[in-house]
Amino acid sequence: MLAQRAMQVSARRLLLGQHAVSTGQMMGIRRTVTTQSGESEILIKQRLNRPVAPHLTIYEPQITWYPSMFHRLTGVALSGPLYLFSIAYLAAPYLGWHLESTVLATSFAAWPIAAKAIAKTTIALPFVFHSFNGIRHLAWDLRLGFSKVQVARTGWFVIALSAVTSLYLGLAY
Amino acid sequence: MTSITRSMVLGHVFKSAARPSAFARPASRLAQSSLKSASLPFQSARVAAFHVSARKNLFPAPPQRVVGTVNDPTPIKESHPVHGSYHWTFERALSVGLIPLTVAPFIGGSLNPILDSIFCATLLLHSHIGFDACITDYFPGYRMPGLRNLMTWLLRTATVLTGIGLYEFETNDVGITAAIAKIWKA
Repeated sequence: MLAQRAMQVSARRLLLGQHAVSTGQMMGIRRTVTTQSGESEILIKQRLNRPVAPHLTIYEPQITWYPSMFHRLTGVALSGPLYLFSIAYLAAPYLGWHLESTVLATSFAAWPIAAKAIAKTTIALPFVFHSFNGIRHLAWDLRLGFSKVQVARTGWFVIALSAVTSLYLGLAY
Repeated sequence: MTSITRSMVLGHVFKSAARPSAFARPASRLAQSSLKSASLPFQSARVAAFHVSARKNLFPAPPQRVVGTVNDPTPIKESHPVHGSYHWTFERALSVGLIPLTVAPFIGGSLNPILDSIFCATLLLHSHIGFDACITDYFPGYRMPGLRNLMTWLLRTATVLTGIGLYEFETNDVGITAAIAKIWKA
């Protein structure tokens, strides 16, 4: 492909040198780039060997994309176990498991208090963050809070509120 | 690639340490594959000294599909309001509906079975739409159509099974909000 292109450029240069070429004649020489099958296969294979530019690992954490990332992560972290639990509840009789609410409650009650508090806070945090950030998203859908200052303020407010609320729900509810 | 960037930044700090061992490795590396990054011999030499494990990319490049030639225009999908604006409106309606359904159990302890069923259905659809957005983002249709189709149908199957499971849980057990309340206060 490169050789072809070089040929076309040199051909045009030759033409320019030999004649006084008007614009009309120049337009007749249209550069076409064609891919020949053998070369493109090597190219496609070689592209797989190229490194991917770093993105998530190097981008400065900011109040714009970090909450957005955590909104998606917490959403998946909440819905994933919901899906898994429901499907496991359907499969439990065939696998000999007991996933009824009373069984779960009594086995959770047997945990040490510290473990219960930590588990409850850890589960409350994604739920609370996703809910509050969801309200922030809905506010944006109503065209509220779009300026940079407002995005930063509401973002930090949601983070602070989530921390406080999840601590309350996990330890004192 | 991550490691190349970081090491290029740190390289000037560790210049003296890098030089002696730097030339020991790259010769064999470059000889192994003539097609690989021959354009950065010295940088990869400097980098090679720091890494004892293979360079692993976070999310390596997926396989490429080149459809047609470079002269063909980018194909644009047909748009339809069902997948566009109606989908958006429905998604926001679900999200707004979830707010009172989520707040109510905290006020009243738990929800009665009818409200709990409505809550579970709304939550299920909300989750499905969320997972669908993840699939749309991470499995581009033009690059990996087969995998995208597979994930979409896996999600649909999972949602249907989850719906059945939630129905069974609601019928044979106490329902989601009551179960969470029971476990939480245990």
